[in-house]
This record gives sequence, structure tokens and C-alpha cells, in this order.
Amino acid sequence: MRSLMLVPALLVVGGCVQASDAAESREPDIVRRAMQQGQQPATTGTGQPTLIQHPEHIQPGISLRGGFTTLTNPFQGDPAKIKEGGVLFVSYNCMDCHGADGSGAMGPSLADGRFHFGGTAGEVYQSIYEGRPDGMPAWGGRIPDDQIWRLVAYVQSLGANKDVATENFTGKTIQKMGH
Amino acid sequence: MKVCRTLALALVLAGCKKVGPSTDSAALVQGAPIVADARIGTPNPPGAEGEWVMPARDYASSRYSALAQITSANVKSLKAAWTFSTGVLRGHEGQPLVVNKTMYLVTPYPNVAYAIDLTQPGYPLKWKFRPENAQAAAGTACCDVVNRGAAYADGKIVYNLLDGHTVAVDAESGKQLWRVQMADLNRGETITMAPIVVKNRVIVGSSGGEMGVRGWIAALDLATGRELWRAYNTGSDADVKIGPRFKPFYATERGKDLGLTSWPGDAWKIGGGAVWGWLSYDPTLNLVYHGTSNPGPWNQDMRPGDNKWTCAILARDADTGELVWAFQVTPHDLWDYDAVNENILVDMPIKGQQRKALVHFDRNGFAYTLDRQTGEVLLAQPYVPMNWAKYINLQTGRPEIDTSKATKQGKLVKNICPSLEGGKNQQPAAFSPQTGLFYVPTNNLCMDFESRPVTYIAGTPYIGANAPETGGPGDYKGEFIAWDASNGRKVWGIKEPFPVWGGALVTAGNVVFYGTLDGWFKAANARTGEVLWQFKVGSGVVGNPITYTAPDGKQYVAVYSGIGGDMGLLIAGDVAANLPFDVRERGTTLPDLAKYTSWGGMLFVFAL
Repeated sequence: MRSLMLVPALLVVGGCVQASDAAESREPDIVRRAMQQGQQPATTGTGQPTLIQHPEHIQPGISLRGGFTTLTNPFQGDPAKIKEGGVLFVSYNCMDCHGADGSGAMGPSLADGRFHFGGTAGEVYQSIYEGRPDGMPAWGGRIPDDQIWRLVAYVQSLGANKDVATENFTGKTIQKMGH
Repeated sequence: MKVCRTLALALVLAGCKKVGPSTDSAALVQGAPIVADARIGTPNPPGAEGEWVMPARDYASSRYSALAQITSANVKSLKAAWTFSTGVLRGHEGQPLVVNKTMYLVTPYPNVAYAIDLTQPGYPLKWKFRPENAQAAAGTACCDVVNRGAAYADGKIVYNLLDGHTVAVDAESGKQLWRVQMADLNRGETITMAPIVVKNRVIVGSSGGEMGVRGWIAALDLATGRELWRAYNTGSDADVKIGPRFKPFYATERGKDLGLTSWPGDAWKIGGGAVWGWLSYDPTLNLVYHGTSNPGPWNQDMRPGDNKWTCAILARDADTGELVWAFQVTPHDLWDYDAVNENILVDMPIKGQQRKALVHFDRNGFAYTLDRQTGEVLLAQPYVPMNWAKYINLQTGRPEIDTSKATKQGKLVKNICPSLEGGKNQQPAAFSPQTGLFYVPTNNLCMDFESRPVTYIAGTPYIGANAPETGGPGDYKGEFIAWDASNGRKVWGIKEPFPVWGGALVTAGNVVFYGTLDGWFKAANARTGEVLWQFKVGSGVVGNPITYTAPDGKQYVAVYSGIGGDMGLLIAGDVAANLPFDVRERGTTLPDLAKYTSWGGMLFVFAL
């Protein structure tokens, strides 16, 4: 029994060290920016700073919970920045993949109040910055960070107050974008 | 065969047809063909009469079967014989193959291939091939993660993966023989098309006309996958493989390096011209016929010039890829009218003269009959309601455009017909030498169009336009028609509430089969268009039926059900149920469709 308990702990530590190395080589800017925004990244017992909290992800070990800090959007709820984000949404061809008003096309809907990879500001930021496995490109380092936050503000405005429960076809013919 | 057609009915039945039981004979050809002396241009296709070894049954792309046990008299008794779940959802375009008592299927992404043993009760698998297939492809394909099928040759099943590979699998064992990276996801390229195998060459092309790709077509060695030639569809004559053999029929196709000079600056490098549609081949002329996609971006102001060789039908030498002739169907395209639809090779009378023809139902709403030796337009008539052009000038081959329907940056142009989905899209037509008619699944859709500037960012869409669609004139959005390509006229039509997005099959039993977006698989009398039978297959049909003879000697008809493709993905609203995170609330051009279908993935097989 004792050996069984030992092995998982080693795996956790080993995994975290590797993840930390990968995170630092992948995202030095995130750490720097968080500092600049006046946030102190909290650390878990392993010394790994956590910047994106994922509410739906299972966090092993009840005693390890708490103390997380999450990236927040400096432009949260700012109507002017939301509008600018809408312009960027077109300029960067987001609309052609995600549909007009994010209704969904090649890529999933961003307007239905549900997110595959999480809908908090930090998670949407991470999706745009790092890309996602089914073909979402990684924009981090290619477009300025403050533009990503404008896009986050815009995307979050699309799904605001949505609670799509069951049947969704409304019978209305709504303007559709070509692709 | 020509002699047979001029004889009386009894002689025709006795002399020319392989018929089923004698009770079915009376149901066969009831009179002379509607268009006489029209023959499939490539007789004696590979494989036995009861097999289906290449996507469109033969190199002419006829989708015609000589099997006649199922007839217009007895098809009303057709029943579901067996089914097979493909294990995958999303658009099930394409069709299965039947070779050596085995049925081969390819699914939408992740493009699993199955071999089903038709000799055993319960139809067990012989093998299942699960290729490695990059996940990112799913978000790079414009129009759903479809696959249009495999081809069989020399003991191999060859097909394309969405992520840009072409693979060859041993037909007996399911072992991968070779795998070649042909397309680049980071440039927005994917592959959805069905290859054909011509003289031990696998012919493939890419998708991505909406992604700023540079389109190409290539030939791979069947045995090893080694690339033998690759021809681009934009750029210099050398890249396009234009040389001394190139003899286009029309003056505007002649000139040096038109694939460069008909574009501003370097726009040809991201100009489209992808080859995502169906391929045909004439063994006598040794020509592969293919179409090219729209130019990119859709915003025409960004690319003045004819934009060669996009929206064109090209004839290439199968051995070298050399371009022998080209006909640009819609020069300087303003409406996303790709020219990738199938080119059906038929020898037929036009104006009293027997011609080696090529019949092509274009996105732009015109049905073209060309001379397949030269690319000359013999006739071109609208096959769906349309308004962007008044006619096709047969002297120049070019459309006479209604300038009020020309799209332009910053201008909202309303009610252009057909819509960008075209009078017909990927759904392939069929030809019957028995009736001389073409059977064409069509769309009746129109659009508004407004273009805007767009920046090219590799790997993202390069479009620059919004184009919302509505139904065309009349209270129907699709029609399955029978077309006389000798005279350019519709003979009959079956109106449908939705665009007919599945392909056609026609048989010597005088039956034509097709499926609908709302999930019906139908059989009709090939002469009259009377609907004789239908079955609700559970999910919309965007694939193409085949027919074959099973080991038990009986004739079967098989088709995929599983809505998707451009219609199912983009404009069908909420038809997915298994994705908790992607609930598409907005109604669209087909607001009712989600009442009749959700995603599915089944093979249905029918028999008497």
C-alpha cells in the first residue's frame, strides 16, 4: 500500500517540474505581464505559479486547493474595447471561422454561452494566445497582448447572459455569412 | 449498342440487356431513349458489372450501373437489408466501393477505412484502418470534415486524409502500404477529394479555396506513393505545365504566363484554384479532366484580371500533367462559383453531329456541353433559376454578365441567383445511356453579397465578403432534375423543400436514386421522374448511392446517411447533439432543417 501511495506523489512532482519548465519556456511573457498588472502569481506547494484557473478542471487533493490567482482582463466590460475587439474579430479573420457574431461556422459557436476550453477571461485569453487542438491558431506573440484582451472582451460579450438549454432552432431565418 | 436502340422494344429486351427474372422484363425500357445515340464515353470500366471500384463507377463519371434486377416496376418493394454504423458523425459525403466481395468505406474525419466481408452473415469486418490524422485539420477545413471516397486499383485502396496525406492500404489485410504528405495545414490546405487511379498513377488535388491556398493537382506512383508530377493552377506556364501541347479553344485563354499576368502582383500565390472536386479520365485521349476552385479572396476588387486558371475546366495529360486545353468557365469570378463539379464524358449527338462531349453542371447555374477533345462550348443553358448572366457567348465562351449582379467592395448587391452554393455543389450527377438523360441534384438558392477588405494570414480564411442566402424563386430550395444535354433543356424535375445535397445513381432497371437533406432516400422512374419509393434513413443524405451484386447474386443499393458538408455544417442551425459546448442557436437559410435531422453516421443497404 505504501508504495502505491508513493508512486502517484512522485508522478505529480515529476509532472509538475516538467510542466513548469515547459511553461517558462513557452510563456515567459505571461508571467511578466501578470507582474506588470500588479498580480502576484500564487504558487502551489510545488512552486508552480498558476495564472489561469479552470473552474471545470478537477484539482486533485482537496488540501491543495485555494490560493489561485487568475489573469483578469484589464478591459473587462469596457464598451469601447468590446467594440474594438469586434473590429479585430473581423480583421484577424476570426469571423470567417467562427461566423458572424460568433454564431459558429468552421469553428464552434462563441455566442452560445458554452465553451469547449472554458469561458473565463483567462481561459479565453489562453485559447487565443496558445491555440487549441482542433485547429484554433496560436496568436500569442504574433499580435499584441492588448489586442488579445480586446478580443477576449468582445468574445465574452457575445455569450453574455446566455443559458442555452434545450431546443435551439427558432424557425427564424437569420442572415448567414458565406463561410 | 447503337443498333439495338433503333429496334423495337422486344428486340431491345432480347438482344441488349442483361435482365433479371422474366417478370421484370416488361418494366424495362418502355420505348426509345429520350436522347438517342448517347453513350458513356469510356466503355468497359474496370471491375465486374456488379462491382464499384472507383468513385463515380467509371472514368467517365457516369454513376450508371447496368444491373437491372431492381426495376421501376419492382423498386416499390425495396427494403432495408442491413446497416452499418460508421462510428463517426459529421458529413458523410462520398460513396462506398465494392470489390472482390468486400465493401470498403471511408468515414469523415478521422477518415477511418473499413473493409466489410459481404460473404459472411452479419457482415463482419475484414479490417479497420485508423490512420494518424492531425486534429488541427478539423478546424482548417472550410466546409465540414468530409471525405468523398476511395479508389481501388491493383489490390490497394487509396484515399486522402483531411490533414493532407494520401494513403494506400492493402485491400486484403488493411495494412498501410504508403503514406505521403501532399498538402500543408499551415497554409490552410486540407484534402477532401476522392482520387482516381489512372495507369498506376493516383491523381489527387487539394482543398482550401477559402484559405488563400495555391491550388494544385498531382500524380503519385500507385506502388510507392512517389510523386510523379505536380501541376499548379496559378502562376507561370512552367508551373501550370503549359507547353507546346496546350491548345485552348478560345482566344482569351491564349498568351504567355496568363497564370501570372491575369493577377495583380503576387496575388496568384494565394489565389486559390484548388482541386477539391471530382476527376474524370478519357483513356483514348489520355486526358484527366478536372475543375478548379474559386479565386481568393472573394472580394474581387483585390484581384483585378481574369485570375487564371481559377474557375476553369482543365484537361491534362495523365502521364505528365501537361495542360492540353483549358476553358475558364467564370473568368474573374465575382460570386464564388468554383468550377470543380464533375465532368461527365458522353459521346452524343449535338446539332445532328455525333460529338465526344463533356457535360458539366457548373456552380454558376449553366449546364455546359463541351467538346472534350478541344474545350469548345457546344451549348450552355441555365439548369436552375439564375440571373447573374444573360447567356454564354459561344464565340468567346464567356458569360454576358448582368452588371447589376456584379459584386463590388462596399456595395451590397441583393438577390444574386444562384447563391455561392451554386446551382449544384459537390453532389454529383449521373448519366444513363438507356434514356440519354443526365440526373442532376440541384439547389435553388440566391444570395446577397457584400465584400470588404481582407488581410491574408496563412492558415486563416481569406474571404473578404459576407453572403447571406435565401431560397430562390418558388416555394422550394432544391430540385432533382433530368436534363437533356444534347439540346440544353430540363425534361422533368422533382421539387424538394431543401437543396438536394446528395448525389445520383441511375441503373439499367430504369431507376434513379438520390437522397435528401431531410433524410429521405428515394427511387424514381428514370424516364418519367415519378417517385416510386422512399425510406427515411435517419439523418440527412449528402453522399452518393451505389449499386452492386452481392455474393448471393442479388442486386443491392447502398448509401450513407449522415448530414453535414457545407449545407449541414454552416447553414443548418443546431443539428449536432453530442457537443455540449457548441450549440448553434441562430436560425439560418434552412431554419426548419434541424426539425428533420440531426448528425448521424450510417451505411444503409437495400434490396428487394
